[in-house]
Amino acid sequence: MNNKLLDYALRVRLPITLFVVALAFTITFYVSRAERDGIGYQPDQPINYSHKLHAGDLQIDCQYCHTGVTKGRHALVPSVNICMNCHTIARKDKPEIIKLTEYYKSGKLLPWKRVHKVPDYAYFNHSVHVNKGIKCETCHGDPRKMDKIEQVKNFNMTGCLTCHRNPEKQLPYLADVKKGPENCFACHR
Amino acid sequence: MAKSFDKSGTKFWKSLKDYYDDPEILKKKANEFNDGVTDDFDPDQLSKLSRRKFLALLTASAAFTATSCTDYRDKGEIVPYNQRPEEILPGKANYYASTCKGCELECGILVKTREGRPIKIDGNPEHPVSKGKICAKGQASILNLYDPERLSEPMIQNSAVSWKKVDSEIIKALKNAAESKGEIAIVSQILNSPSTLKAIEEFKKAYPTTKVYYYEFMGDAAKKNAWEKCYGSSSLPSVKLNEANIILSLESDFLGREGNYIENTRLYAERKDILKGTDFNKLYVVEGGMSLTGMNADIRLRLKPEYQTEFLLSLINELVSGNKVPAEFRTGEVLNTVGGYSLKNFASKHNLDENKLSGLVNDLVENKGKSIVFAGDTMPEEVHVLTNLLNEILGNTALYDFSSNHVKHSAPSSTEEIKQLVQNMKNGSVKVLIHFDSNPVYHLPADLRYEESIKNVQSVVSLSEFPNETTAISSFVLPLNNALESWGDSLVRSNVMTFQQPVIAPIFKTREKEAILLTWANGNAESYKFDIYHKFVQNNFKKEVYSGGDFAEDFNSVWFSALHDGFVELDGKQSKAKFNVSSVSGIKPSAKEGITLHLQKNYYLGDGKFSNNGWLQEIPHPVTKVTWDNFAAVSLSTAEKLGVTFNDMIKINANGTELELPVMMQPGMADDLIVVELGYGRKNSGEVANDVGFNANVFLKSAMASPFVLQAVNVSKTGNVYKLVSTQEHNFLVDPSLRDFHKIRKIIFEGTLEEYEKDPKFLKEGEKVLKGITREHKYTGLKWGMAIDLNKCTSCGICVASCNVENNIPVVGKDQVEVGREMQWMRIDRYYSGTPEDPQVSNQPMLCQHCDNAPCENVCPVNATNHSPDGLNQMVYNRCVGTRYCANNCPYKVRRFNFFDFRDHFADAYYQNDITALAHNPEVTVRSRGVMEKCTFCIQRIMEARQDAIREGRELKGTDVQTACQQACPSDAIIFGDINDPNSEVSKYRNHDIGYHVLEELYVKPNITYMAKLRNTRSEDV
Repeated sequence: MNNKLLDYALRVRLPITLFVVALAFTITFYVSRAERDGIGYQPDQPINYSHKLHAGDLQIDCQYCHTGVTKGRHALVPSVNICMNCHTIARKDKPEIIKLTEYYKSGKLLPWKRVHKVPDYAYFNHSVHVNKGIKCETCHGDPRKMDKIEQVKNFNMTGCLTCHRNPEKQLPYLADVKKGPENCFACHR
Repeated sequence: MAKSFDKSGTKFWKSLKDYYDDPEILKKKANEFNDGVTDDFDPDQLSKLSRRKFLALLTASAAFTATSCTDYRDKGEIVPYNQRPEEILPGKANYYASTCKGCELECGILVKTREGRPIKIDGNPEHPVSKGKICAKGQASILNLYDPERLSEPMIQNSAVSWKKVDSEIIKALKNAAESKGEIAIVSQILNSPSTLKAIEEFKKAYPTTKVYYYEFMGDAAKKNAWEKCYGSSSLPSVKLNEANIILSLESDFLGREGNYIENTRLYAERKDILKGTDFNKLYVVEGGMSLTGMNADIRLRLKPEYQTEFLLSLINELVSGNKVPAEFRTGEVLNTVGGYSLKNFASKHNLDENKLSGLVNDLVENKGKSIVFAGDTMPEEVHVLTNLLNEILGNTALYDFSSNHVKHSAPSSTEEIKQLVQNMKNGSVKVLIHFDSNPVYHLPADLRYEESIKNVQSVVSLSEFPNETTAISSFVLPLNNALESWGDSLVRSNVMTFQQPVIAPIFKTREKEAILLTWANGNAESYKFDIYHKFVQNNFKKEVYSGGDFAEDFNSVWFSALHDGFVELDGKQSKAKFNVSSVSGIKPSAKEGITLHLQKNYYLGDGKFSNNGWLQEIPHPVTKVTWDNFAAVSLSTAEKLGVTFNDMIKINANGTELELPVMMQPGMADDLIVVELGYGRKNSGEVANDVGFNANVFLKSAMASPFVLQAVNVSKTGNVYKLVSTQEHNFLVDPSLRDFHKIRKIIFEGTLEEYEKDPKFLKEGEKVLKGITREHKYTGLKWGMAIDLNKCTSCGICVASCNVENNIPVVGKDQVEVGREMQWMRIDRYYSGTPEDPQVSNQPMLCQHCDNAPCENVCPVNATNHSPDGLNQMVYNRCVGTRYCANNCPYKVRRFNFFDFRDHFADAYYQNDITALAHNPEVTVRSRGVMEKCTFCIQRIMEARQDAIREGRELKGTDVQTACQQACPSDAIIFGDINDPNSEVSKYRNHDIGYHVLEELYVKPNITYMAKLRNTRSEDV
């Protein structure tokens, strides 16, 4: 009797349990992958700014606001005075612009929610990529179509290496593209 | 020390224990890590949490996180400027020219700032004197700005008050003093700033009973006084050292700590450049202790400091009586003074090598007008007078540069004046005593009893950046700005005026010292404005320089371009005065028998100002490599005579003052001599500085003519034992089982210039062709490499300081250095050869060699260290799991392991605070506990250069990158660049006949080439 019970447990119940656990793990792993990588992350911003309106409809160049993108490591989220270049006159009466003007006038800092982030120990450099002709959309999706900015691609090491290893596939718009560096010091120091 | 004195077979040795094959050293050589390096990992010591509690906390925090964290994807915020200053681009550095106020040299500096905070200080490359180089103190002084123990607000009787209150109280006291004709005394160190002196004048105008006292701690007063005596002028010329074929140094550490040693090193090394030819200079050093200059000597003679006078008299007599000099100096006065002193007798009396001496005389005679003699700052006036005479006799005055003189602003007050001050303090006639950024309690000779006399002064005001011995007993303590927060100017050399501009707003509630004086001079506490001194400096420049000068532009453009450049050049030419021969008459030697105590400057702490700077405390002493201490250096036989050895405490009694000091046996020292460095043993000066080393200032006496050489002192063994920590016996490159290891494996490889001139390939003789057995990786394109010219390197340690700042190297503390856990990526290895009495010294900067076949790489189990296509040995911190296999397999011993998170380990997390963290270079990871690290060839600089090259659409070139050590090296001994480019400077060194690789036979193919040292000695000299 005891033997039979043990036999049943070992032969049937254990494998089934293991199988279910493994299956659940695998499914969760793959299904939650995007979520874990932060894809689809779309936080509320302190000011309801629309890239679609500014960059898409009005066709303002990315670099009008992201001034650092060809010059250094950081693309730079624009300082408030850049917004005020236009908004001292344009759409002054809109509630969001009133909020913005308040920030500007009081000298208070505007805490934008961070959407894209590479880990602390990786030193990503915007200027080397942009100056090689890589488009913003390649990593950031197309902000011109986003009302609220959202993470579209993953920003982990796999994300970097996909392009660095197969640039011709990932960046078909670049005629003469060389492989990106794959050595550690390229990003870590 | 029982072993005999004959050589034990190895040609090179690092320490006396090494020389005598001490079993302890043999063990150290065999092991990578010191014995017991992991023993102290007592879990209780690391954290007070028990395992249960830790788990409980972990569970609780996990539960807490799970319930409270609504948005686990939150990545924080990006907070841009509200209004971005036009010149600041986050991520890009800005550079501002300013002046270093670390010591009296006041070099021109270039401050690198990121997002408005200074992170690195280097020399200003355009400054005519500094030429882009500064000393280790200047490099590390960035840490002083962010020192958490800086005085942060004004205090009255140790309680914090507002500036308004403290100002009005002091103004009241000053007005009372002025009305009652009581003395207001300002005590300051020597000042080089015209504007500061002017501000003091303004103050004097407002309070006419003010008297100003200047003092100098270990200055060159004797040298200046001698110059005045000989030439009747107070401003010394600079020396065109690069034109000197022969340099004779008499106790003068002109490459290490005396005069403008940065400029001296640069000019000296210009004549040690093998790429430019074999026209090397020849350095003779006659000294008692072993100094940095002495280590670099081509020929070194050991002589106790008190015999220098007699040596000079004998040397001059040899030249004069041999009719080897112009007739004008063979006159009565000179002959009367030097007659009767024979160099031969002197040599035999003091055991000096006659061959070397006659070589010296010949060299001096043959190179008339092209040699120079220096005497040390600690030597008495008569030695300097005789040195001046010797330079005159030899026509060496041709090397004096009268277009760039040392400007003398404020002479130190005489001993009588200071004594009078103390007397006035004691009898209560000094009503207000102002310490103007000075620390007389620590600096002034103890027999003046300054500290006791302070008690009778009504109001004692101390202006200081840091707490110190003087602020501790002052009723008013006013905090000062750091130099990087201040305006100012400085006129050290007659041909250049250097400007100081703030690069950051004051971090604490501090003010400029001049601004404080000016506010008091206005007599109204409300009159202070933050730009009060800024305006003052500007107006002073307008009045004193601009209006009198020949400037084409309007004032504003001149002013702004002066600030941009950091300096204006002036015409400071002076004509040479005639030598006053009568100044030498009556000079007689006055040496006594017995043991002599020689007090010397220290190398890295200045007058004690930098004592609270952990980086500087931890840079190994350039000679002994002792960290965190000063000591009594003695020769081997003197130690034997006293019956002491390393770490034994001796009691020195000089003129009734006693002090116990630990013994350091230093090879190459004169016998019966003790050398002690000053600037240690601070009190009330901060967590880092307090009680590090011993305060040997107590030996200074006010009445002595030469306060630094004390003869016939009593020395006795006390029986106490101390622990000195030296890195000299760390990181042995040798395998104890192999004799003549250095020669076989090429660690130190050197020869003489004569040999090289005969056969340039003499070092390559018998060289084997090494072949690999594996298929080797080909490096095409740019490949980084470095060359270190050992002919130029003086082992000053500035590269180490610069590397520390650039690469966020932590301070570990004395206890950690003791067990071999120092974290500096660079070290200067020191090897002796010959006998312990009279050794030759070879120095070798050692850092990661970035080997092509790096042995560290193939033992890493997680591939955290590997090779880049441009020839760098990469270290990836986020991948490292801390097995320490790599360090164990590194033949050069250059890998450093983070046994702790040293920032929170050192002195109760002293450096773990918001302010000190601002000093970090944001482009370099701050490493935490459990990872290995090592030199990266400044990868952050390479990447920045690469970024610029890509932006400009060009190829990255080897010359685009300067490593931090290279940039800082005052002798330009470090060259970095592309070794695959045959025209680059670094490949010229790499392929040079005297270029070699350390441990070449291991076939690890290192990418650092060392240029063998060629000593400028002739075969008959040695």
